[in-house]
Amino acid sequence: MLELEANDIYVSYGDLTALWGVSLQVHQGEIVVLIGPNGAGKTTLMRAIAGLQPPYRGNILFDGESVHQMRAHQLVERGVVLIPEGRRLFAGMSVLDNLMLGAYAPKARKALAETFDRVYTIFPVLAERRGQAAGTLSGGQQQMLAIGRALMAQPRLLLLDEPSLGLAPLVVADIFDVLRQINADGVTVLLAEQNARMALELAHRAYILEEGRVSGEGTGREMLEADHVRRAYLGQVTPLEEAAGP
Amino acid sequence: MLASGLAERVAYQRWTRLAKPAVISFFVIAALLVPQFTDRRDTLNLLFLVYLYIAMAQSWNILAGYAGQINLGHAAFFGVGAWTTRGLWTDEDVPFFLAFLMGGLVAMVFAIFFGLVTFRLRGVYFAIGTLALAEALRITVANLLPNIESLPGPTIARYELEPRYYLALGLTLFAAATVWILPRTRVSLGILAVREDEVAAEASGVNPLIHKLIALALSSFFAGLAGATFAFYHVSYYPAFTFSAVWTFDAVLATFIGGIGTVVGPIVGGSFFIIVRERLAVSLVEVHQIFFGVLFIVVVLMLPGGLVEAWFRLRRLVVRLLR
Amino acid sequence: MNLEPVAQNLVFGLFVGGLYGIAAVGLSLVFGVQKVLNVAHGSLIMLGGYASFWIFTWYGIDPFLAIAITGPLLFAFGLVLYFGLFRFVTRLREEERIKNSLLISFGLTLVLENVAIQLWTADERAITTSYAGEGTTIGDIAFPYTRVAGLIVAAICVFALHAFLTRTFAGKAIRATSEDWEAASLMGINVQRTYAVAFAIGTALAGIAGALVGVSYLIAPSIGLAWTLKALVVVVLAGMGSIMGAFFAGVLLGLAEALSIYVFGTSYREVVGLVLFVLVLLVRPQGLFGRR
Repeated sequence: MLELEANDIYVSYGDLTALWGVSLQVHQGEIVVLIGPNGAGKTTLMRAIAGLQPPYRGNILFDGESVHQMRAHQLVERGVVLIPEGRRLFAGMSVLDNLMLGAYAPKARKALAETFDRVYTIFPVLAERRGQAAGTLSGGQQQMLAIGRALMAQPRLLLLDEPSLGLAPLVVADIFDVLRQINADGVTVLLAEQNARMALELAHRAYILEEGRVSGEGTGREMLEADHVRRAYLGQVTPLEEAAGP
Repeated sequence: MLASGLAERVAYQRWTRLAKPAVISFFVIAALLVPQFTDRRDTLNLLFLVYLYIAMAQSWNILAGYAGQINLGHAAFFGVGAWTTRGLWTDEDVPFFLAFLMGGLVAMVFAIFFGLVTFRLRGVYFAIGTLALAEALRITVANLLPNIESLPGPTIARYELEPRYYLALGLTLFAAATVWILPRTRVSLGILAVREDEVAAEASGVNPLIHKLIALALSSFFAGLAGATFAFYHVSYYPAFTFSAVWTFDAVLATFIGGIGTVVGPIVGGSFFIIVRERLAVSLVEVHQIFFGVLFIVVVLMLPGGLVEAWFRLRRLVVRLLR
Repeated sequence: MNLEPVAQNLVFGLFVGGLYGIAAVGLSLVFGVQKVLNVAHGSLIMLGGYASFWIFTWYGIDPFLAIAITGPLLFAFGLVLYFGLFRFVTRLREEERIKNSLLISFGLTLVLENVAIQLWTADERAITTSYAGEGTTIGDIAFPYTRVAGLIVAAICVFALHAFLTRTFAGKAIRATSEDWEAASLMGINVQRTYAVAFAIGTALAGIAGALVGVSYLIAPSIGLAWTLKALVVVVLAGMGSIMGAFFAGVLLGLAEALSIYVFGTSYREVVGLVLFVLVLLVRPQGLFGRR
């Protein structure tokens, strides 16, 4: 079942167009990954879906409902939750407060006790450090808090923008395991990642975003084996191939 | 205005290039001749106020519009000018014109010290810091000079309105000419650079502090002269009043409503301000302040170029409708 | 040396400091949350004073009790001001926002002050309760009931605000929004509504401060600028980010002013605060308690 649909969207920052006619689909229960170089527009696309950067052309449908004109908080109420690039935790506030704020939306607030239990089970370290200021956690712990905070909102579609940024590989592996688990519990995941290998291994489907346009699409497996992807994003370039050009 | 062909467009441009100086000359000559055609004190007094407020608005605009610094302590320069000139002229028997110039110069020197302290603050902190210092000065003056300041008897007997009228007119023309020439000088490039982006300007080798001080010096010079004019005009007044923030706020209102950053803006704004104030004050007390407050908010929110911008937009609309 | 007049003076400094504190907290809250500098804050204090005065004059309700009315009344007015006016500046970037909110609130001050003159004349008013002159004495130092009650009410309001901000969902949402409004909106927080509520709370606090001013001092349409400047001085002293610190900075300023009269004389009391303000801006812009 089609949960999220972006149709031919154009997004600009003032005079600068960042996305040119981007379309993508995410089905319920999938893990879809966006890969592509820095500045390709992955963050812009995530922000557009989350309601922070409305497209000036095209539309976005969530569960059949047109959402591209809505503001971010309205999307959260519908179950679309973004964990932004850099996590953007409330550094001055405690772990507990950050988690509580994740459940600000009325529906999520009713299920507060339950979701706290769930989040503490997935991330016991958050329970241990619940009184600690969020800014004092380690990188990995902050990412866990960011995900936990998003889970408090009871998302149907979880958006993650570069979750592996600044994290050690072992920690990234843990995070991705958690994402697999969350997905198994029924949450659809859309993930923008620089770390293409790990993301593609996790993904059901993937899109390549280059210079504001979708330049490729396929299943996770297909992408891992595609020559172009291997060359550009998986670091598998032979000196001969490199000399011959892309 | 229906210039569609090239020939018509050239003719139109030639017309405006002749028309502008013609219109300005007309107004200046008219202003010069007013006292010859009328003896009415109320007309001369009204025009005096118009010129005084235009000069204050022009002077404030130099720092705010061109240099981008919102100085809320402008009244301090007005007060220093008034105090200097009045003191030199009445107490020290200095010939008036010299006392008048000293008013401007002393205000300028004071302003430079004022600026050296306050320009270490940026943006809104500069605005509220200057306001605080000016208020502190006003309270100090009110404590040190609590009594009303009056002209001596013989001077009152010799009082004539006409020279005061011409002094104010001369001041405003001097200020307007300076503001007109300013963008044509090299120094103004630096000042504008500082207004747009101080950090970038500094990186390009433009010293922000020097340029801000230059703009402040000009601004305070004219404010001081305006204060001196006030001191020449009034028979008696409370010294602390010349340091009152109301002089700053009226200049701010007039400049914004007229159109900040333009030569014509303060002229339009100052005239508008005084004329509306005198008209409204006849009917209801203080209603003019409410009117100006609302107009000011409208300008800030929707029409940052003030009445000048409104005029241009209206003209373009008319041109488009006629086409 | 006879210390009693000094002690009495300090005690009065403490009382006026409490007023400075509550006046400043409202301003600090609004600025801290949404970077809106409302120089009409003093005029809102003035309006609160008038509301209190008229409720007392027409209905005989004690001004301290009437806070239950004046508070919500000014809260509602704050919502009107936000949605009618200040909401338009919140779409600007921070630097533009501060400058434009300064200018707009300046226009608002003119309007409020002169509407007040139209409605109630420029005459000064004071709220004189039946217990106005009375008080207790500890040692030889007088503690007038009105001043003591003023300090207590101010302290209660400020601590209630603190509890609201730290323990309630809405309060935490306000703090989160002031830290990172985009991240807050990603939590499902309606940022515009949060700004409106924060602004309204600030206005309500101004209104309560006005009631206290009316009891201890005088209310007139022209007091707006002086109180705004006073609140600004305290906010800068405390540090722009520190809401609770603003209360303590207010008390400190009241005490400092009380002591200053022995050095500079009573007529320079206000000047001390203003000069201190500029000095702090120059030397320690983050204030006494600020973090930035």
